[in-house]
This record gives sequence, C-alpha cells and structure tokens, in this order.
Amino acid sequence: MEHVRNILQQIGLEPERVEMVNLSSAMAGEFVAAATQMTERIKTMGKNPLRSDLLGDRHTESER
Amino acid sequence: MIVADQKPLNELKSLTRGGENVLVVGCGTCVTVCFAGGAREAAITASSLRMAFKLDGNSRQVSDVTVQRQCEWEYLDQIAEQVKEADVVLSLGCGVGVQAIAEHFPETWVVPGLNTSFMGMPTEQGVWAERCAACGDCILGLTGGICPIARCSKSLLNGPCGGSEGGHCEVNPETPCAWQLIYDRLTGMGKLDVLMEIQPPKNWRAARDGGPRKIVREDLRLAKEEE
Repeated sequence: MEHVRNILQQIGLEPERVEMVNLSSAMAGEFVAAATQMTERIKTMGKNPLRSDLLGDRHTESER
Repeated sequence: MIVADQKPLNELKSLTRGGENVLVVGCGTCVTVCFAGGAREAAITASSLRMAFKLDGNSRQVSDVTVQRQCEWEYLDQIAEQVKEADVVLSLGCGVGVQAIAEHFPETWVVPGLNTSFMGMPTEQGVWAERCAACGDCILGLTGGICPIARCSKSLLNGPCGGSEGGHCEVNPETPCAWQLIYDRLTGMGKLDVLMEIQPPKNWRAARDGGPRKIVREDLRLAKEEE
C-alpha cells in the first residue's frame, strides 16, 4: 500500500485516495466507519481529475 | 542476478520529454526477478506516465511491451515494429539492455528507466545484497565462498582491517565484515589453513582496470562463409 501511495504521489495525485482496511465479516461497525471515513475524505479532496479520461480509455461507447 | 532500482517518475518524465509516442520496454529476466523492470513494472510505469502526462495537460501516447531478454538481438527483433513507431524508448532493462536497444535500433532514441545497481541476490523478501563484482579472476575458492572483493567495503585481499568491529564494517555498521565472515566460515569447516597459503598478486587486468572486457569462444562462433 505504501508503494501504491508513493506512485500516486509521484504521478501528482493525493496518496490518501487509496486505503486498505483489514476487516473480518464480524466487524460490520468497523466497516461502516471505514467506508464513511473514506467517503468523507474523497468528498473533501474532490473528484479524481483523471476520471473522465480513464473511463474513455477503458469503456467503449456501447458500454457507457 | 543483475539488481536494479527504478528511477523516480519525474526523472522519467524529463528523460522522455519531446517524445509524443513513448514505448516502455520491460525485460523478463533479472529485473523481473528484482521487481524493477518486468512486465508488471513496465505496465505500471506506462500507466503512471499516462496519468502524469494527462495531469500536465498533454496527450502523449505511452505503451508498453516486455521481451524475455533485452540483451539479445533475437528478442529485440520481436519488438522492431513497436520500436520503429516510438519517438523515444524507455528501457526498464539494466544498462546492458538499454545499450542493446540503442545498438540494435540505431535510429531510435533510448533512455534508461532504471539505475542498474549491482550483481547480487535476495537475502530476504524485499532485500537484495551485492555478491559479485565481476572482477574476472575469481578467488572464492580461497575464501570459503565469500567474496572479499564485492563484500568487503575496501575489497581487501588480506583482511580484516582495523575497522572491523564486532563483525561489522566501519564504513557501514550494518554491513557484515566480509573477512570476519570468511574467517568464521573457514574456522567452522576446519579449513583455516587455506588462509596461510601464500598467494600471488591478483590479476586485476581481468577486472575493469584493463578496460572493457570481452570473452571470445571460438568453438561457439559461427563458421565464416567461404569466400
């Protein structure tokens, strides 16, 4: 995860856009907390500036 | 294996500047095993460059391909078309691979994506250490299979020096003293007498001191065509 964050930083994206959380199936509360935290973080940072371009690369017109 | 390390992305952007069509070429041998320049790293590097270029507001094309070995002509022949279409080739091979591409495709601008570091091996997951300096006159038979040329900071032939302390090197305390390792190993094997044999001076002409080296095996060369 540290390696991926380092790559994102070098590219010019916020490394905090990626996070890995280890949870068991019995940790519903922790899952909700982690998901909520990540959602708030992404909302604060804004959309991925590459998002539209990446979608253009990966999907054909019919798939959109 | 040859061990290498990736250059920072900013340096790769600088090295490939001016090229609208960038081809990242990975190598499937040594640098794959040390996670520096294999197919996976070539794809990640190409993807990273694409994203970085887009953030910079330009639309340069970046593709990637990996050959089994960049240091042999026949493998490079397989990517001749892709190389021809590229403005710049970013080689994720070792220094040999970069030069092989430059020599095989004289019209192509090729730049290195890695810093070639040393010949070594993984000592644990994620850790590689130097083991051979390619001195051309191997003395491992005299030193219990531990190389003082590559593993002693001073490449001493008559160590340990006064800077060996507690089995570690004064140049870097994290480096084990090669001569301490040699002494301990020979002691353990009951072969310490090997160190008592007087050795002639080592032939350094076989090392880099004699200039670029070459090995010619006449028995393996193709017969010249009769004129």
